[in-house]
Amino acid sequence: MRRRKPGPSGIVAAPLETKSQDNARRDNIASVAQGRLKTYETGAPNARRFLDLLSRRITRSLAVSLTACVHCGMCAESCHYFLARPDDPTMTPVYKADQIRRVFKRHLDWTGRVVPWWVKASAPENDEDLNRLKNVVFGACSACRRCTLNCPMGVDTALLVRFTRGLLTELGIVPEGVFNVSRDQWETGNQMAVSEADYLETLEWMRDEVRAELADPTVEIPVDRPDCDVLYTINPREIKFDPRSIAHAAKIFHVAGEKWTLPKWGWDQTNFGLFSGDDRLGAFVAGNVYEAAARLRAGRIVISECGHGYRSTRWEGYDWASRDQTAPTESVVVTLGRYLAEGRIRVDASRNPVPVTFHDSCNIARSGDLVEEPRRVLRQVCLDFREMTPNGRENFCCTGGGGLLSMAEYRPLRLEVARIKADQLRATGAGQVCTMCHNCVDGLADVIRHYKIDMKVVQVLDLVSRALMAPR
Amino acid sequence: MPFIEHDDSKIEVNEEGFLAHPEEWTEDVARILAKVEEGLDELTPEHWVVVNYIRDYYREKGLAPMVRKMCQASGFALMRIYDLFPSGPAKGACKVAGLPKPDGCV
Repeated sequence: MRRRKPGPSGIVAAPLETKSQDNARRDNIASVAQGRLKTYETGAPNARRFLDLLSRRITRSLAVSLTACVHCGMCAESCHYFLARPDDPTMTPVYKADQIRRVFKRHLDWTGRVVPWWVKASAPENDEDLNRLKNVVFGACSACRRCTLNCPMGVDTALLVRFTRGLLTELGIVPEGVFNVSRDQWETGNQMAVSEADYLETLEWMRDEVRAELADPTVEIPVDRPDCDVLYTINPREIKFDPRSIAHAAKIFHVAGEKWTLPKWGWDQTNFGLFSGDDRLGAFVAGNVYEAAARLRAGRIVISECGHGYRSTRWEGYDWASRDQTAPTESVVVTLGRYLAEGRIRVDASRNPVPVTFHDSCNIARSGDLVEEPRRVLRQVCLDFREMTPNGRENFCCTGGGGLLSMAEYRPLRLEVARIKADQLRATGAGQVCTMCHNCVDGLADVIRHYKIDMKVVQVLDLVSRALMAPR
Repeated sequence: MPFIEHDDSKIEVNEEGFLAHPEEWTEDVARILAKVEEGLDELTPEHWVVVNYIRDYYREKGLAPMVRKMCQASGFALMRIYDLFPSGPAKGACKVAGLPKPDGCV
């Protein structure tokens, strides 16, 4: 099969206009009609609007990241794009950040106004320039923040990338996949447009499966039950394509004697606002979850295994939704760790004999600060747990972060630079790689398939569910 | 867009191997997608039950059915779907059935 190969510069030239936006305009869908979801307008003064938005939205932390860079090159060595394409300067984080930095300098920083040629200041002049910027910030960066962690000046390149994505999203200049998922989250409250009937039907189905597995007719998957200790929120792909993880969670909650529920609305903890840079979408989706917890008076919000959902709901969402959240929010892996520590569940590690390595999701370890928690669980449920190198906060991205899995146009470059991840996986010699992120599951599966590695991807819930012993 | 070339056929697909033009789907195209993309040497009657259901659903509603519906229509247990299509319901079964790539984290 022939795939398009990136040229000497890895920046992919994906087109400006997309069919989905035409359809959304033609059907005048609610989120477009209300101006929440933006579509691209040809002939509009988009470059001008871009500059206006830039001036209005700049914050102090952005200004620091825009001005503090000394071009030392430390970020290059931390980026899997550059490590895999070492002869291509357009792959360095500093090059990508400079594409917005030069606009900032031209319009907001005095150096660019006085000596623009000296500080390489310039501004986008037309839609093609904006489209090129789109292909840099969406197509050549998985927003993994490894460069941020390794920057001696504290420059947050991923923050600049997300900021730039947000400006382009406001103009409708976004990859089709990002547009489609944003549309579905705005329109249906979940990223796969799952209907309420489909949602409830799948939950009942999984309840019946767990009842059969445990031979226990009292197993429940409660929906909208008030005053529970745990409000469980999930990734829509668990309903639509892979409900096994819901069954695992239900089984473990049942054995642990947890008082839990899922909400009827506000159950999607994923959030494409993080990827598109649209804080209003971020506020809407995260707000749905927080409101569900308040409405049902839940003790805590528990997030199923999802990296960007964890970061969005546990960290960024409070800010986006301007919410003073009192109920704590935690990853289900933290919940599992508590059950093990308190003896609420018992496990038999010999049921997981295949060597397991752990892939830290960028949004969970680097941006979410959960590093030891999953390891504590894995050491108890597997016989042979081994680290990959590097790991924890220094781990490399699965290559599918930042929403890249939903942007097919950038896939050839993504798989090319995945060589770094492939080498890292192969070196462990493990037969299984465990991750606590649905997106990483697919990202890693792509890498494993492309580079023909003999390895299976599993999640923490899979391993705990397999090791779970019947209650005494 | 890239192409899958197999024997004499040339099929346009997206970067992930999903059909670029779902209307170009035929049973032969399904066999080629199954072989090249899913590593399935042949499609058994069990595969066809799932593939045909997905196609009918897509024709009617314009989107992929959830895996619950695939299981109900075929009578297969959930794990059987993963046995039949190693890449799973979305990237395996829906791809062979000629659907465009489902949106979202898949």
